[in-house]
Amino acid sequence: MAEESDFQIGSFSYPGLADVFLTRAQKFIDYVLDWGRKNSLWPLTFGTSCCAIEMMTFGATKVDADRMGTLFMADSPRLSDLILVSGTITKKMARRLLNMYEQMLYPKYVIAVGACNVSGGLYHDSYNTIEGVDRIIPVDVYIPGCPPRPEQFMDAVRVLQRLIKENETKVQKYGRYY
Amino acid sequence: MADIIDDLKLKLKDKISVLYSDPKEPVVALADKTAIKPVASIISKSFDILFMLVVVDRAPKFELNYLFSRYSDDKTITLRVVVDEKDYAIDSICSVFDSANWEEREAYDLFGIKFTGHPDMRRILLPEDWPGFPLRKDFKVTDEIRNWTGLDLKF
Repeated sequence: MAEESDFQIGSFSYPGLADVFLTRAQKFIDYVLDWGRKNSLWPLTFGTSCCAIEMMTFGATKVDADRMGTLFMADSPRLSDLILVSGTITKKMARRLLNMYEQMLYPKYVIAVGACNVSGGLYHDSYNTIEGVDRIIPVDVYIPGCPPRPEQFMDAVRVLQRLIKENETKVQKYGRYY
Repeated sequence: MADIIDDLKLKLKDKISVLYSDPKEPVVALADKTAIKPVASIISKSFDILFMLVVVDRAPKFELNYLFSRYSDDKTITLRVVVDEKDYAIDSICSVFDSANWEEREAYDLFGIKFTGHPDMRRILLPEDWPGFPLRKDFKVTDEIRNWTGLDLKF
């Protein structure tokens, strides 16, 4: 490690020109990468119940997800950046959802769709559902509704794009192993 | 339809009693739960499938309703057995009716009734290490169940 000497006590030094240049370059690279990421979100469809129907409408012609770069093309968690958890997550499904989430590559974003995934919704205080999917995985954007309109999906994706631009998503704030 | 009830009465004299003798869908009560397997094999001679197994919680006892049907004239017969609170156990009729396999697993999953002699007595809907039997009347949603996720992870 070449930088080790910089962190010794008593030998503090001001950043040199090379450090300033590297920081600026890093910021510029991050900006370009975030710009690319926010405009090509490939969602992983995790539809387990009625919200999945609205998610299909979100991908179809009338409310077109493709014009925001949200292409429903990834048929594998390893190709996707965003997971749309749409539908009730039962306690048996929780392990499977976490398996899917763990297979996605960094950086990954989560949108919790519908009342069931926000707070339990209709199945609040039930013996067999996870009350809010944020008990299992970190959620960036919540969409209320039972089920939500397809336009709300579009709004959520725009909110997520703004969060990525402002470095405010969970994975950007808290790092890879949040 | 009358012949099957007569046949049952002939073979198991006082163990069986007819509760509701509609010719299309009679309800037959079986007093002794250990006789479920011979009764099922008598029924299997004239009925094709066990299409439903209904469990009613009459606390502290459980009432099992076996609904058999046949394809030829679409008639059904209901066999009613009471399982008491001593062990909540009854013989499996899986060897007579194959469709009893999943029905009995579901009854075990949600009510905790044990079917002895079942080939694969596991939970069918809930996770296998889930605590309790949720459709019983005395079941309460406690904090343990509310917070149970099946994962050993905390975020």
